[in-house]
Amino acid sequence: MFISGFIYILGETLKGLYRNRWMCITSTGVVMVTLLMLGLFMLVNLNVRHITEAVKEQVEMVVYINEEADRAAVEELGRKILGHREVARVEYVSSEEHMGRLQQQLGGMLEGYDSALDNPLLASFEVRTEDPEAVVRLADEFEAYPGVAAVFYGQGYVENLFEVTRVVQVIGLALMVGLAVTAVFLISHTIKLTVMMRKREITIMKYVGATNWFIRWPFLLEGLLMGLVGAALPLGILNYLYGSSIEWVDVNELMFINLLPLQTVMAELAIYLVPLGTGLGILGSMLSMGRFLRV
Amino acid sequence: MVEAKNLCMKYGKGKQLALENVNFFIDRGEFAFFVGSSGAGKSTLLKLIIREIKPTEGVIKVFNRDVGRLPRHRLPYLRRNIGMVFQDFRLMEERSVYDNVAFAMIVTGSSRREVKRRVPHVLNLVGLQDKAKAKITDLSGGEQQRVGLARAIANRPAMIIADEPTGNLDPGTALDIMNLLRSINLRGTTVLVATHNRDIVDRFRKRVLYLENGKLVGDEQKGIYTNVH
Ligand SMILES: Nc1ncnc2c1ncn2[C@@H]1O[C@H](COP(=O)(O)OP(=O)(O)OP(=O)(O)O)[C@@H](O)[C@H]1O
Ligand SMILES: [Mg+2]
Repeated sequence: MFISGFIYILGETLKGLYRNRWMCITSTGVVMVTLLMLGLFMLVNLNVRHITEAVKEQVEMVVYINEEADRAAVEELGRKILGHREVARVEYVSSEEHMGRLQQQLGGMLEGYDSALDNPLLASFEVRTEDPEAVVRLADEFEAYPGVAAVFYGQGYVENLFEVTRVVQVIGLALMVGLAVTAVFLISHTIKLTVMMRKREITIMKYVGATNWFIRWPFLLEGLLMGLVGAALPLGILNYLYGSSIEWVDVNELMFINLLPLQTVMAELAIYLVPLGTGLGILGSMLSMGRFLRV
Repeated sequence: MVEAKNLCMKYGKGKQLALENVNFFIDRGEFAFFVGSSGAGKSTLLKLIIREIKPTEGVIKVFNRDVGRLPRHRLPYLRRNIGMVFQDFRLMEERSVYDNVAFAMIVTGSSRREVKRRVPHVLNLVGLQDKAKAKITDLSGGEQQRVGLARAIANRPAMIIADEPTGNLDPGTALDIMNLLRSINLRGTTVLVATHNRDIVDRFRKRVLYLENGKLVGDEQKGIYTNVH
């Protein structure tokens, strides 16, 4: 095909988009909302996964032992916890060790305090589970074991993290599917309108011997462009939002929220959003290709 | 060039035959009129030639190819060799004369340079060299049909098919258009014209194929409109 053909197709595409601009903006807008949602959802998901990984690295659960428990009871408890099939590793930390760690963390502040005489800290088992999500359930179970004073697992934090992600996942997915279908429908409707407006040109093209592809390219491109713009804008918005979040976390020194770096996340998002956007656009165009667009 | 063998066309089940057992052969370089009253099947025949429709039975051959069995992807190349002219002109009315002619070339893959060279040439042939920039809606009916002719010959087709090209024109203008078709024919292009215009048919003394209720009832060299049976 010659340059003139390319220029023609591009010109027709842009003309079609312009003549039909309100419908185009609407369709592109729905693609945008869909992908913006998907993007946000992915952002949350990626980071939750990342944070969970980090949580996994740390001690997940601390089972404090009753002061009254004797040596045999402590050993029995340790065996029981280690014997649980969802537990990966157990480590005993004595009250002296706890005090040592505390003194290290606090630096010189406890100087002169004779820990050997009066140690208020409880001995504990530090437990690592196979699956971080099992922590909540296991904590309840272990709490009932004899000799257990209390169980801690970054209470609420882990619990809420999983709860929230799951709810977001279900609602988000349903919404996105609905929006995606709407987007495809709107795109195909928009293109059908352009086809109607260009009825005469298309008829002439068929008579003078234009190929199917030549007739269809402008409409395919129209859908593709709507999808592409619908993907690019959310990427821009998410880039800004996520960048700000990172900054906010940084400024507020919320070190425990260990966010993924901006570039990593944006690259991951682009891998999904751009093909998805163009996919929705092309699907919309394909659905609009009726018999009329055949030679 | 165009050959029909036992050609039949039925638009749907239970409908009457629009064409019934039509046989003819038109040679390269001929000028032929298809005449007959309204509903006789003239347009149907022309549509079969460009494969706008497929024959129900029989064979229609164009450029020695059975167009009824031509694969779809070959259709554009068949149509590039046939220039179509219509009663209602079928032009892009909001665009210029030049654009209308150039359009036919661009969408069939001509280069810019070819378009630039060819369009003024064909506009010159139809006498519209001074109207290249005019919008179609600013032209008279006769001028619009000249644009239609210019567009039809832009891709150098081997054949021109015109369905009632003078149907919307006054007698003088109609004669101009028909004379243009004749001059195109004299340059070697085959020309097929479906028409009701008795005056022109009688004046031209070209081949006349007479259709009646879907049947070919007359086929004469140097015929006249009424000289059948
Ligand atoms: N698309 C169609 N669907 C159904 N019947 C059709 C269709 N096109 C034409 N016909 C029928 O086929 C017959 C032949 O029609 P055609 O248009 O070929 O006649 P014509 O000779 O061109 O007439 P006119 O001089 O009025 O243009 C008519 O009876 C017409 O009603
Ligand atoms: Mg007709």
